[in-house]
Amino acid sequence: MGNVAEKPNIITTSLDFLVNWGRTNSLWPFPYGTACCAIEFMSTEVGRYDLSRIGSEYVRFTPRQSDVLLVAGTISYKQAPILKRMYEQMAEPRWVIAMGACASSGGFYDCYCTVPGIDHIIPVDVYIGGCPSRPEAFFDAMFDLQKKIKDESYMKQRAERVKEQLEMIKAKTAEAKAEAQEFAREKISLAKDFVVEKEQELVKKAQFWKE
Amino acid sequence: MESVEKTEKIAALLEEKFGAKRDAKARWDVAVVVAAEYLPNAVEFLKNDPDIRMDMLVDIAGIDYLTYPNHEGPRFAVSYAFKSTVNQGCRLRLKVLVGEDCPKVPTLTGFYDSADWLEREVYDQFGIVFTGHPDLRRLLNHVEFVGHPLRKDYPAQKRQWLSTNDFLLPELEKRLEKLGYRIVQRSKEVLPNDDEFLEGSIRE
Repeated sequence: MGNVAEKPNIITTSLDFLVNWGRTNSLWPFPYGTACCAIEFMSTEVGRYDLSRIGSEYVRFTPRQSDVLLVAGTISYKQAPILKRMYEQMAEPRWVIAMGACASSGGFYDCYCTVPGIDHIIPVDVYIGGCPSRPEAFFDAMFDLQKKIKDESYMKQRAERVKEQLEMIKAKTAEAKAEAQEFAREKISLAKDFVVEKEQELVKKAQFWKE
Repeated sequence: MESVEKTEKIAALLEEKFGAKRDAKARWDVAVVVAAEYLPNAVEFLKNDPDIRMDMLVDIAGIDYLTYPNHEGPRFAVSYAFKSTVNQGCRLRLKVLVGEDCPKVPTLTGFYDSADWLEREVYDQFGIVFTGHPDLRRLLNHVEFVGHPLRKDYPAQKRQWLSTNDFLLPELEKRLEKLGYRIVQRSKEVLPNDDEFLEGSIRE
């Protein structure tokens, strides 16, 4: 891989800067609201606090179009697999905010039906305390997330991804090669058997006619 | 005051017709204890009698008397709360006592549609079986849950093994077919996977 820069240079860092600038200023949240924290999120979103000031203009109600999974509220065991699938459906890059005590740690629900923190199911980037957390706290979390995203390197991730894909392609081709070879071997052995059979038949016929 | 007199009258009627007893423990409302085998008849009477018309089933609650002070008799009880939308302020509770060894109660799904999920909830939390229920599955807990959490002998903080989600798509497909849609491809159930499970859930 000669094309991938080993060390960051002026081109990759400027590209990183550009990509991160775009990402930090258009974080589209996907609200997974199950309790009172979702109400706080609504007040964060609308007029008085106005989340669209930092570019989180659109609240997307589909995991395919959103960047931030916002888990606001208590997660019960019954919906834990659903939350996990929701996270898996989101496209990379994706981040998760656990809003409020319930999503972060299970809150005061220490019982048979509540998941003690969503980090048992999915990786979490930012936790917010409070029960429910204030809109200011939510903004703080968004700023934290923006800082985190600014530190990320798009080029590094891309290089890793390309490496992974290359390895996968290599493994796949090796697999396919082995399969093809086996198939050819089988075919050859079959043809050999066929030829041997034919020869024997011919020998038999020749003997018959001799007699 | 008129409604109180009415409910008293209804309770008296139930006592007369179905051998019911007034619940002495109920201090705030009128509650009547009925035997399980007379429950459907009593409910039918309450619902269809033109003077009573208890046409709303508000709630079904399970009760576990295991740690109840000075309790005698069967361990469980199922309490039905009825309300009339025709006669104002007409409310009544029916109570069925259920033993621990054979917790069975006839279902009310034939009379009230709301009984469907309410009975499923009571089955889920207390393990009381409603005979004749069309679809008696767990309602609140996940499919791999063992035991019944609102029983008093269940440790309240005990979490259970979870490695799959509920398979609810056949129900949805049935409803779609009822609406006239054609199902092109049936969905497959995601089977429990030992490698993928909820961290923190404990296997027995």
